[in-house]
Amino acid sequence: MHPDTIRKYIGLGLFLICLLCPAFAIGMESEDCLDCHTDTDTVGDDFFVEMAPFNNSAHADVGCVSCHETVSEDHPNDGNVPSRADCLDCHDDVGEEYAHTAHAENASCNDCHNPHMVRGATAVSGHAMNQMCSDCHDGDEVAESHAEWLPQASLHIAMLPCISCHTASEDLVTSLFIIKKKDAEDGSLELASHEELKALAGDGNVQALVDTNEDDYISLAELRMFNRNPANKTVQLQGMMMPEEVSHSIETLDNRWDCSFCHASGPEAMQTSYLSLAQPDGSFKRVPAERGAVLDALFGTPDFYMVGATRSKTMNYIGLAIISGGLVLPVGHGSLRFLTRKNRRKSED
Amino acid sequence: MSEKLRIYLQPTPVRIWHWLNAFGIITLCVTGVQIRFPEHIVIFDSYRSAILLHNTAGLVVAVSFSLWFFYYGIVARSMAKLYVPTVKDLQTGIVRQMKFYFLTYFLGWKNPHHATPKDKFNPMQKSAYLAIMFVLVPLVSLTGITLTNVAFLRDFVVMVGGLKILMNIHFILASSLCAFLFTHIYLATLGQTFFAYFKPMLTGWEEVEDDHHHEHSAP
Ligand code: HEC
Ligand code: HEC
Ligand code: HEC
Ligand code: HEC
Ligand code: HEC
Ligand code: HEC
Repeated sequence: MHPDTIRKYIGLGLFLICLLCPAFAIGMESEDCLDCHTDTDTVGDDFFVEMAPFNNSAHADVGCVSCHETVSEDHPNDGNVPSRADCLDCHDDVGEEYAHTAHAENASCNDCHNPHMVRGATAVSGHAMNQMCSDCHDGDEVAESHAEWLPQASLHIAMLPCISCHTASEDLVTSLFIIKKKDAEDGSLELASHEELKALAGDGNVQALVDTNEDDYISLAELRMFNRNPANKTVQLQGMMMPEEVSHSIETLDNRWDCSFCHASGPEAMQTSYLSLAQPDGSFKRVPAERGAVLDALFGTPDFYMVGATRSKTMNYIGLAIISGGLVLPVGHGSLRFLTRKNRRKSED
Repeated sequence: MSEKLRIYLQPTPVRIWHWLNAFGIITLCVTGVQIRFPEHIVIFDSYRSAILLHNTAGLVVAVSFSLWFFYYGIVARSMAKLYVPTVKDLQTGIVRQMKFYFLTYFLGWKNPHHATPKDKFNPMQKSAYLAIMFVLVPLVSLTGITLTNVAFLRDFVVMVGGLKILMNIHFILASSLCAFLFTHIYLATLGQTFFAYFKPMLTGWEEVEDDHHHEHSAP
């Protein structure tokens, strides 16, 4: 279903719910709830809800009461435990898709999503997506089990959200994230936060770090400037292959087991790319980049290359010319040798 | 017919090294083609086995290169003598050897250079092997090893200009090595008989006609 239609239905649904349940929690706005629930002294750690992430989440407009319908005027003193909405009430299409997978037995919606912090897939970093899985699937163990058949397993897992391989979504695009060295000693990398980018930008506009002319479009020239700027040596661009549309059919697919699903799809699939920028609220904003940016040898990013898929056509021809050059001697000399074979036989006698 | 003389031309370590290299490099070329063109060329049933084989063969060639370097440079101490062309080689040797390959060979003359353990290569071979063994093989190994450890060696990758540049260097060097392979194998058939030059690489011994031609070996 198109998101807009979903929104319309949900809006209508919410309207009906409000009509049908006037008895509950009249007047209690999300802000009222948050007055207490953002204060650990009042609600303790277990019932703490973070303010900013909620207000910036896709559920902000849904409001607390829509999901906790039975919360009463007297809450929390009424002794009732407010109800929790089932995600399927509003997201039945996703629910249906997920319910058909074996994984539905292993994890519920809430195991992966915090209902108070949900965001659309394009606003979530690949790192955060993997965080969802790593609560149950230990990162080191996954790297180890995948290394049994996957060359460069750690590199793959760092550059690919698990769902790019483990769901049916086939449209992959490249998102460039700005990452930084965690600390000088160990070389491990992590996403640069909005604050860190802000510091790097000298408290200016973070997007202008890369999008110098702030036209909401990343050109190759801008990428080159970013990659070459010595002021940016603490950060780098990491290309991640993200599904353009999220599917919840979490499973192990045979075609992902076949490396050429990605490694042969060719430059066409690699043409679309975005810069994903950390926003103050922790979400990510995608800025489209010039077509073929990640393919460009000189400007795109020094850290992105996929064997098979991002090969350069010009280089193919140069390679072919060199190899053909190696055949000139055997073929040319060989023919003359054949024609003059009598001379050598004579001299042997 | 003149009398046959047998000389021990290729000691065992050199032969082992040569064939390790030969199988290694051929494997690398074949798997390399599949790795670059997976949708057109499928030689091994899976991409992953092509990659694993490529990485293993690459390591074998890199190690065997190091052993070769160690053997000739340190144990036998004959690297410079065998592989570096002398002034004389450059002034007259190369021209003489070219003249043989491209002219007098067709007229049925004998090779002006004759291999001895101390002077294995003709001036053309020396120059070619110098380029192959001191430039191509080390560089292609180095770029290959870097490509299997990109996260760890990132500073080096960036210094080179990025993964794509590194990849292109690796590819062009590898193509050159492949081109050399054709030439090398072909030239190896130019002995007195088609397989004359293959024998010493297998058994170590070369059979030479002990006639006056032998004088050419150390002019
Ligand atoms: C006056 C402060 C206050 C306000 C306002 C408030 N809550 Fe609470 N809420 C609490 C406290 C305290 C608890 C913990 C109760 C407990 O320990 O049983 C709680 C518990 C909850 C729980 C978890 C109950 C459980 O036991 O699992 C939910 C859900 C909840 N509140 C939702 C809401 C919603 C929705 C609103 C707004 C409509 C809201 N609260 C407004 C103080 C408040
Ligand atoms: C989209 C639906 C939805 C909205 C909107 C929502 N909640 Fe929840 N909330 C849930 C669900 C579902 C759970 C149960 C989570 C679980 O079991 O892990 C929950 C759990 C809670 C809890 C129990 C503690 C916890 O985190 O599990 C509190 C307290 C709570 N919500 C408060 C609020 C407040 C306050 C708001 C508004 C600011 C709000 N909720 C908005 C769905 C929602
Ligand atoms: C009362 C209805 C309702 C319930 C219950 C509900 N959601 Fe939502 N959800 C919405 C609405 C409305 C949106 C905003 C849709 C949009 O912006 O396209 C949304 C958006 C989302 C998004 C972001 C999608 C996007 O495209 O922006 C996620 C993820 C999400 N919900 C997950 C959940 C999960 C998980 C649960 C169960 C804990 C849940 N929702 C329960 C109404 C609901
Ligand atoms: C195994 C983990 C996992 C489970 C279980 C899961 N999701 Fe998701 N879901 C994700 C990931 C990963 C994304 C993409 C990142 C994001 O939007 O948070 C996502 C995205 C979404 C989106 C946004 C899709 C879009 O196009 O933007 C919705 C809506 C959603 N999930 C709803 C649900 C509902 C409803 C359930 C339960 C039936 C559920 N999810 C269960 C992992 C999960
Ligand atoms: C709440 C815990 C939990 C979360 C979160 C979770 N999983 Fe799982 N998952 C399990 C369990 C339990 C199993 C079954 C045991 C196993 O294979 O490890 C499983 C199995 C799997 C399998 C193997 C299924 C098969 O058919 O071979 C895959 C693949 C998988 N999970 C992927 C994911 C991905 C991707 C995410 C994140 C988007 C994720 N899981 C998040 C608990 C979880
Ligand atoms: C390159 C694609 C790819 C990526 C990325 C990937 N997987 Fe897998 N994964 C597979 C394939 C293919 C299998 C099946 C392997 C097999 O059958 O031996 C698998 C198997 C699994 C299994 C079941 C077997 C096992 O190893 O325990 C789990 C669980 C799993 N993956 C979780 C994850 C999680 C979590 C992530 C992200 C951190 C992830 N995978 C990233 C392709 C991938």
